[in-house]
Amino acid sequence: MMIPIVTLSGNFKSLIACSIIAFFVLSGVQTKAQTPEAEKNFQACKVCHNISGPKLIGPSLSGILERRDKAWIYKFVRNSTEVVQSGDAYAVKIFEENNKIPMPPHNLTDAQIDDILAFINNGGKVAAEYIVAVPENEAEKLEKEMVAERELLAEKQADMKRDANRSFGTTFYITLAILLIVLIDLFGTKIIKAKFVHTTVILISLFVIGEIMYKEAAALGRQQYYQPDQPIWFSHKVHADQNKIDCLYCHSTAEESKYAGVPPTNVCLNCHSVVRQGKITGTTEIAKIYQAIETGKPVEWIKVHNLPDHVFFSHAQHVKAGKLACAQCHGDVNTMNVVMQVNDLSMGWCIDCHRKTEVQFADNTFYQAYKELHEKVKSGEIKKVTADMVGGTDCMKCHY
Amino acid sequence: MEKKYFKSLDELTIDFQKDNSNQPAGDKQSLLEMQQEVTSLSSATRRDFLKVFGFTVASAAIVSSCEQPVRKAIPFLIQPENLVPGVANYYASTFFDGIDYCSILIKVRDGRPIKIEGNSLSSVTAGGTNARTQASVLSLYDNARYKNPMAKGVETSWEDVDQQIQNQLSAIKTKGGKVAIVSPTIISPATQAVINEFIAAYPGSFHVQYDTLSASSILKANEKFFGKAFVPAYHFEKAETIVSFNADFLGNWLSPIEYTKQYVKNRKLTEGQRTMSHHVHFEGGVSLTGSNADKRIQIRPSEEKIVIANLYAEIKKLAGLSSIDVLAGPVDVKELAKQLWAKKSKSLVVTGSDDTESQLMVNGINQLLENYGSTIDTAVHLKIRKGTDDQMELFVKELNAGNIDGVILYDVNPVYDYPQKDLLTNGLSKVGLSISTSVMNDETALLCGFICPDNHYLESWNDAEIKTGFYSLAQPAIRPIFKTRQAQESLLKWAGKPADFRIYLQNYWETIQYPKSTGYLSSTAFWNAKLHDGVFESSEKEVVNLPFTITTADAALTNTKNATKTDSIELVLYVNTSVGTGKHANNPWLQELPDPISKITWDNYIALSPKLAEQLGLEDEQLVKINNQITLPVAIQPGQEKNTVSVALGYGRENAGIPSNGVGQNAYHLMKVVSGEKKYWLNEVSLEKVGGTYPIARTQTHHSMEGRAIVRETSLEEYLTDPSAGNELHKEIQPHLKSLYEQRKFDGLHWAMSIDLNVCTGCNACVIACSAENNVPVVGKDQVMMRREMHWIRIDRYYSGDTDNPEFVRQPVMCQHCDNAPCENVCPVAATTHSNEGLNQMAYNRCIGTRYCNNNCPYKVRRFNFFDYTGADVFQGNKKDEVQMTTDLRRLVLNPDVTVRAKGVIEKCSFCVQRIQEKKLVAKTENRQLFDGEIKPACAQSCPAEAIVFGNLNDVHSKVAINFESERNYHLLEELHTLPSVGYLTKVKNTIA
Repeated sequence: MMIPIVTLSGNFKSLIACSIIAFFVLSGVQTKAQTPEAEKNFQACKVCHNISGPKLIGPSLSGILERRDKAWIYKFVRNSTEVVQSGDAYAVKIFEENNKIPMPPHNLTDAQIDDILAFINNGGKVAAEYIVAVPENEAEKLEKEMVAERELLAEKQADMKRDANRSFGTTFYITLAILLIVLIDLFGTKIIKAKFVHTTVILISLFVIGEIMYKEAAALGRQQYYQPDQPIWFSHKVHADQNKIDCLYCHSTAEESKYAGVPPTNVCLNCHSVVRQGKITGTTEIAKIYQAIETGKPVEWIKVHNLPDHVFFSHAQHVKAGKLACAQCHGDVNTMNVVMQVNDLSMGWCIDCHRKTEVQFADNTFYQAYKELHEKVKSGEIKKVTADMVGGTDCMKCHY
Repeated sequence: MEKKYFKSLDELTIDFQKDNSNQPAGDKQSLLEMQQEVTSLSSATRRDFLKVFGFTVASAAIVSSCEQPVRKAIPFLIQPENLVPGVANYYASTFFDGIDYCSILIKVRDGRPIKIEGNSLSSVTAGGTNARTQASVLSLYDNARYKNPMAKGVETSWEDVDQQIQNQLSAIKTKGGKVAIVSPTIISPATQAVINEFIAAYPGSFHVQYDTLSASSILKANEKFFGKAFVPAYHFEKAETIVSFNADFLGNWLSPIEYTKQYVKNRKLTEGQRTMSHHVHFEGGVSLTGSNADKRIQIRPSEEKIVIANLYAEIKKLAGLSSIDVLAGPVDVKELAKQLWAKKSKSLVVTGSDDTESQLMVNGINQLLENYGSTIDTAVHLKIRKGTDDQMELFVKELNAGNIDGVILYDVNPVYDYPQKDLLTNGLSKVGLSISTSVMNDETALLCGFICPDNHYLESWNDAEIKTGFYSLAQPAIRPIFKTRQAQESLLKWAGKPADFRIYLQNYWETIQYPKSTGYLSSTAFWNAKLHDGVFESSEKEVVNLPFTITTADAALTNTKNATKTDSIELVLYVNTSVGTGKHANNPWLQELPDPISKITWDNYIALSPKLAEQLGLEDEQLVKINNQITLPVAIQPGQEKNTVSVALGYGRENAGIPSNGVGQNAYHLMKVVSGEKKYWLNEVSLEKVGGTYPIARTQTHHSMEGRAIVRETSLEEYLTDPSAGNELHKEIQPHLKSLYEQRKFDGLHWAMSIDLNVCTGCNACVIACSAENNVPVVGKDQVMMRREMHWIRIDRYYSGDTDNPEFVRQPVMCQHCDNAPCENVCPVAATTHSNEGLNQMAYNRCIGTRYCNNNCPYKVRRFNFFDYTGADVFQGNKKDEVQMTTDLRRLVLNPDVTVRAKGVIEKCSFCVQRIQEKKLVAKTENRQLFDGEIKPACAQSCPAEAIVFGNLNDVHSKVAINFESERNYHLLEELHTLPSVGYLTKVKNTIA
């Protein structure tokens, strides 16, 4: 049984450039040594071909040497169209099988092709002598750090879950019951003789009830700890934490628009044209992406973080100009399998942050217009310039 | 003596004849209404109270117990390139509707066009717009548009329609019949090519260009004078003396946006300029241009020709040529002739006359004044009006004779706007094949066998050649909303050509226009660049130095010898700056736009002079029948020539959709056609008083400022000796301004606006631009009558001087963003506060609708939502939607960056804070400071006269700061020490002559 293991390149830029993110590790028989150059050259192949596993644009390549001889492969790699046009039966067959998409010509020498073939035969591994070993202790250290980090995040998440499940309902009903009992006793049964007990209990329970009602009323229309089920079981934990995909890779408009943007389905396909199987959900959830593309119906995600219509919040302002981290408002999304709204997103919460958060006063040329503030900073009258000092608490910064 | 200003005759009479101290502010009607309202309030019973109370409690309970709705975020499947959700894209395009031309940028937010802005790359309109251009985006979302092709009144498919039409066309072809294409002036070279293809495919077919507002007389006169029918390019910016005979060049004559740009260029007294043109205007009614003139002379339309003849004769004398004596005119033009002669080659005489002989004499005048080659360019032709009236006459004659087998009506509505409607309807019934390509429901399409609806211009490809060598492109900004097809594609299809107009247009540009360009590597690069810019200006010229025959002008002069004077009442038929020729009558924004002269909305009316009204015993709103044809209410208009009455065209649509049907009366059918020329005036008009009155919705008497020094004015002469002339009060008031409170300081940004009264023409483009940008609701006529119009910016118009011949001044007024704002102090819930950038902020969700602020605002710029006009409320019962502005389709025009206000809140101008925030963010992300002029509120952006300047007052080099330092600068009611952030520059009239 061969189990494909998804790994990710750490270098994000090269990731986009190649639009390739995964390669499959196959436990095969070692045959012949090959150079790292083969791995480099194979980058071009793996855009369309898997070594084993499901067919991509072209057929998977394991066992190619058993199917065709080398001379045919050389010809086909260098100019496939020519081979197809020459009427070669096998070439025509694969051409038709693969939706008549011609394989682009590759200018490779026989030796290079041999090398790649060896690489394929080796299950996509460079020969053992070329593998640079990672020092044991360093790897261990890295591992430990990772574990510690994960534990911390898990702890945080547990806290959040506890908060989310905290409900005042039970307290409310108990207090209400006590209040009723005391009232009945006061006017009916009269078991307790001392009236000050009644008075105290009534006052306390009224206070508790009032407090709970106020809290619940204030939370009306807010959705703290909102965690709806999404049409696709999409895990931010897998994507952002384990695979270290940057938030902005998918939510790419956060730096230029008021909306961070839910990624269009074609962005999913950047990776999922190759990654067809997930660790947790297998193929069922990823298949929904293909279904969306095939049916032409985009995925209808449930919006988690909602602001009222009369609030104009700009992601670009906060992410690009304010240089805030996403987690500051959204919490540690990278620990969540299902996204939850962590903060209450109330106006008080916004204002609170505007009063505390420093603006990029010294770094951004825009703020040079604020001459008096600059002088105050210079003279040491104020230590830092927070958002409210440049109008961050004015109505028309968010409501217009 | 200080001038007395008044906004209406009522105000004048109240002020003069009654003791003001006993008279509460406001007019009689408002007092009556107030009384009525009080009675209706007191009639509320205890039961009513309980009902309302119960409803409130119940609804509050229901609302609060509701679950939060599940909101969805649906991304694109494949996100189009360059489309960022939440960020607007701008596409260059062209607006041309048969009347106005404008090079524009279409603002598209998330796939919806929501706003039109001027394209500053065009050297013709140079970023300016007018009201109709601004409003055109709303007509895209109109339920009265045709949504499907129709055959014999039944909706069908395009295949079916094409099949039927092609069958009929080929039948016509085999029998050798004729097909006529009737269109307005085609300024698009590619569309002209398409029409030519069609004509080539069906030999015998012909093309008729029918202009509702034609320049037939100019074309004819130039044909006689120069041997070529064309409209020359005028250069008002080069003219030091402008004489206009009823040519409303700032409003509706030929290319008003371009002319406004030119006109204000040498009337601006900012940036060190110290000269101004002198503008003399002759007219009978009151036009926008006339009301801006330095000297406005009232003449009757019938006298126009005589005055022109007199002027021509005088100029001939000055030129030392033999002149003939002509009938003495009503005014002496000797002085004017001398002045013109002194400004030889730096003057311009124009006339909007429909009479070829008058035009010929004006040509003669300009020729003698050597204006050809300086202020009039015959090497560049204005191509906006090509149709001559006789083309249409001939067509109608042929139609009635049964000589035409097929008619294609492309973008015209002659059943509505052709003077002899019956002739046309008769003729149409005789044609076997009649096709209309109308975008909107109209009267003509109703009589056509086939309706093949054209795309709206925002869904279309097109091009235009406005002047020789000045081209522009139009591109779609949205996929067609309904099952419509571009008329050009229909024509190509019927002509048996490949029907993709985009490809056709691109080929046309790459083969015909590309060779005219320089500096592009390939034709595709050229096409892409021009599509981006929207304009292409080659240095093409027509034939220069055309030979002229001045004898034709002399012959015209001789002919006037026999003219006779009559004393009858004369009628001027004009188009106003809002609905224009009636094509846009279905646009609620334009219907609710107050006329710049009368301030009347939602109707046309008979404007007549106070003297004539007295003589005929007529009062405002009295119904009067004109020529036994149409009945309209009277509106007394100071400035009308005594025996001249005016009626606006463009009203009385019958089949145009909800807002326009039954609004006003159609005056086109009053027009006469005399020897093949449409006459826009007629004499011997009968006015017959009929019983009853008809209420007019006027915004004029609202928001009166009770005769204080609101508009400050001076003459050029005084200004040159003392720049602060007319503005002495400003200096006088300054030392007296004291406050108990510390004056607020603004660090960094302090927004301010400066308005140059000297160049504001009152064209109203800003009012519509503001409505479009800020989701300002349309309230309908009834609400306007109750003074509940919602415009955030209004243009006050004041008369001064003699009621029979007043002068006009205009003043745009919006929220003044006072730094000592009286409204802010009185709000019990702090819904209106001051920002650290000097903005007077309004938080709608905090407002509880006490209207204290409204009451306390000295400028009366705050507006209250008496109802829910835009469909923002949860409760359906709050809705008031008389003009169908809350349909899903109409609501697509709303700007998502501005809150849609619900019932019960106050709103007002925000200085377009959404634009301020947007540009600030751009500067921050680019790590730079804002530069002056980067932020433009919608009003400033739309202004063709660039009268509105916006900027940061703290930046001493900004235009607005410089204007605020000017001696001409003053503030409204500055004696109240409200410290407005809006400054006005005094109006200067050039009376030097």
